[in-house]
Amino acid sequence: MRLTPDQSGLIRRAEKVTFTFDGASVAGHAGESLAVALLRAGHLHLRDAPEDGAPRGAFCCMGLCQECVVRIGGQVVESCRSVVASGLAVTSLKEQQ
Amino acid sequence: MTEMCDIAVIGAGPAGANAALVASRHGLTVTLLDEQPKPGGQVWRAKSAAILDAPSTPESVAGGQLRQHLQNSAVTHLGDSRVWQIEQSADGWVLHLLRHGQVPSLRARALVIATGAREFVQPVPGWTTPGVLGLAGATALFKQELALPGKRTVVSGTGPLVFFVAAEIRRLGGEVAAVITPNSRGDWLRALPAMARRPDLLMRGARWVADLMLAGVPVHWRHAVSEVEGNNNVKTVRFRKLGADWSPKAEARSVEADSLCLGNGLIPAVETAQLAGLALEHRPALGGWVPKRGADGETAVPGLFLCGDGAGIRGAASAEIDGQLAGLGAAQHLGAETAAERARLRPSYTRAARFGMAMTALSIPRKGLAKLTRDDTIVCRCESLTYGAIAAEIAGGAASTNAVKSGLRAGMGACGGKFCQSTVARMIAQAEGGNEADVPPPTARPPLRPVPVAALAGDFDYSDLPIPKPAPL
Amino acid sequence: MTQIYDIAIVGGGIMGCAAALRLSAGGMAPVVLDQGDLGQGASGVNAGTLSLQIKRVELMPYALKGHHEWERMGDAVGFHKTGGYTLAFTAREAELLHERQTLKAEAGAPITFVSPQEVHKAEPNLAQKVVAASYCPEDGYANSSLTGQYYRGQLRDQGIAYRERCPVTAIEQGDGFTLTTPNGPIRARRLLLAAGAWLNPVAALMGVDLPVQARINTVSVTERMPPLISTVIGHATGLLTMKQKPNGTVLVGGGWQGRGTPQEGRGQVSAASVMPNLALAQYALPALAKARVLRSWTGFEANVPDFYPLAGALPGVKDAFVLGCVRGGYTIGPYIGGLMGDFILGREPELPLFDPARNFNEETA
Repeated sequence: MRLTPDQSGLIRRAEKVTFTFDGASVAGHAGESLAVALLRAGHLHLRDAPEDGAPRGAFCCMGLCQECVVRIGGQVVESCRSVVASGLAVTSLKEQQ
Repeated sequence: MTEMCDIAVIGAGPAGANAALVASRHGLTVTLLDEQPKPGGQVWRAKSAAILDAPSTPESVAGGQLRQHLQNSAVTHLGDSRVWQIEQSADGWVLHLLRHGQVPSLRARALVIATGAREFVQPVPGWTTPGVLGLAGATALFKQELALPGKRTVVSGTGPLVFFVAAEIRRLGGEVAAVITPNSRGDWLRALPAMARRPDLLMRGARWVADLMLAGVPVHWRHAVSEVEGNNNVKTVRFRKLGADWSPKAEARSVEADSLCLGNGLIPAVETAQLAGLALEHRPALGGWVPKRGADGETAVPGLFLCGDGAGIRGAASAEIDGQLAGLGAAQHLGAETAAERARLRPSYTRAARFGMAMTALSIPRKGLAKLTRDDTIVCRCESLTYGAIAAEIAGGAASTNAVKSGLRAGMGACGGKFCQSTVARMIAQAEGGNEADVPPPTARPPLRPVPVAALAGDFDYSDLPIPKPAPL
Repeated sequence: MTQIYDIAIVGGGIMGCAAALRLSAGGMAPVVLDQGDLGQGASGVNAGTLSLQIKRVELMPYALKGHHEWERMGDAVGFHKTGGYTLAFTAREAELLHERQTLKAEAGAPITFVSPQEVHKAEPNLAQKVVAASYCPEDGYANSSLTGQYYRGQLRDQGIAYRERCPVTAIEQGDGFTLTTPNGPIRARRLLLAAGAWLNPVAALMGVDLPVQARINTVSVTERMPPLISTVIGHATGLLTMKQKPNGTVLVGGGWQGRGTPQEGRGQVSAASVMPNLALAQYALPALAKARVLRSWTGFEANVPDFYPLAGALPGVKDAFVLGCVRGGYTIGPYIGGLMGDFILGREPELPLFDPARNFNEETA
């Protein structure tokens, strides 16, 4: 018996579109958070920390911590506040891509 | 381009949105600003455009109602708007915004600050590993995207939030590897009298815990995560039994997982209030440093009002009423007669605040939890500064958060100190003899969020730059 | 029994601390008092530019000595001698550049004029709009954020007493000076006021009216960027300073004015001046457009009507001295602090000081 029912089957999402992350094709739902689409696709490592070069990824999920930043069109943006769109070209801030 | 309104409200959560609604009902023009696209705040965060249909939750219903009320009101809601600087002018306030890559400004005769809270996470080895999310951060995934942090998740932290997150993961089809909470069952029993005022929430919480038990999810009471292993992603989460003051005891045990949600209570987001000129005071029961305020959101600065969790962590139910009080206070400041209305609201605010503060009390970490942070643990994530480096700076005589920031860059990175300063302040207090009330947060600096230079520079002609006359030779 | 110090120094910025070090080396026991933390006023929040190209002509000998002091302090203060270019983008600015830098070169700064081609060879990311430029190989920068840490370490190493978060609320002169502070009274035989933009209210405690005013200079810093520039960049008008730190952050200053007064405790960044400041920076370095600004702040730069230093005896008060209001005070501070120490020790300073009792409305040097 489950007191908290599994409702995952009842969720209807927008169509899947593809975008690229460091050149690799990634599928995400149009209009969803870029951080979430990357997380689902297993792209957790979004940038390297300064000084020690350690891997970092989304942390606060509300636009504060700046851990999930990526580059879109040359501009650094928070992936948790960016939205998936078809054909978007996203690059990480890893030292070596 | 500068718009003008009677009242500007920063933050469209339960506090700010309600402040806007009541002030608007008194015939004042109100602009409600928020960095999210839709109102609701963190607690009632709206679903993204990618969710076409989904079962409702108490949060989605409450948020939906609030959004409906705003839609039916005369309040102007400006979403995707980040306030980056606040200036006082002769006739009120000028708010500088970052919105869609532009930096418009907004003038207002009165200002209500309702910036809510952010999360405190006690640093532990490996907490910077991708796949470790904030506990409150994870709720943003659930509410906005109905998405999971991973396939198999350890949920760890204080207060009711840890059980909400575990329940949401199960509702959304994920697996909870374990729930690890520093609170004991006894802590919860002692909170029961305060919770009895909200039987609905009490029932909901009891259901979450019972479900975890039935599902065989281990719940480790009076334990805390002590280390995260895995390099590029989470593999193993280690946890330890805690003593009465939450000092880690005994050998660590471990659980395999690909993700971890970790949080140790909320702290008021006070930078906006600091920039607007408010002094802070240390109120541990309210989550730490809070801006000073009087009745009905009034502050020492005329025309500046403060409400919601940003004035002290009291929770959403309290924030709704607190917001109404502050909105009415601001309306009164601009000439409306709202005294009777405020008097009617105050008793319900007091009741709701009592419940909220009981939850806050469960969420506030006890002193011993700080011992989970080891010498080589990263404390300042932005600058990769370890506990040991910060301790050495303090031992070298840096006795304030500003001094540690200057000397070491702890808090000078991209997040502006939002995730290290509580820890740094506690370290200083401990080194200097233990009084956290003597160690305020560093001076707040604009911009409140990073702003692209191109947005600030705007489209300009070189000849139009207002270059002042050069300094004397 | 309360200790009686040889001298109480009010203000723990660069000048106060540098004077304390010289006095201590000369055998005196100083105590340094600061209302906040050491080096957190102008000393710790300025842009850190060490450029002879923006120094006053009459102060050039002091600035040259100052540069040597910073070079000596080295890594501990984040010193980098990078050379620096000053740019002109219009014919009028080129004229201004030529006129001003010629005088500074005559005063001893090794400044030369360079062609736009030479500038672009050295700094290819700068805008292709430079019409004239000057270069000084002595220019560079230090990290002003490290001022407090550096001097705190120096004072500790030398066994010099200091008190932070210790505002002086009253000063009585009898047999020596008694300073009232929240941490109790402090007694000293001599007094040096080195309180920067707060000199006026501090001197007022002794009944002396110093005509000190403050400029409210704005500085901004970006997030880490890939390498863009390797030298210190200035503008013919002096209204831009820009350098990229080894960590990749770009620091932009130039003396654009914020709001507020020292008496109110803090300055505020004015959007109306930080925006054109950054526009000018982006004009000079177009790649800056993609950088995000993480922080802007202000610092109070003290001055008197003739914009020359106050450095000497406090008018009308025996055994009291004042030091401050040095235009280019970050650069010159460590040096003039030492001169002040020599003066108080009864030695002849290497270069002349600046009498605080002078008539400020006359041209002086």
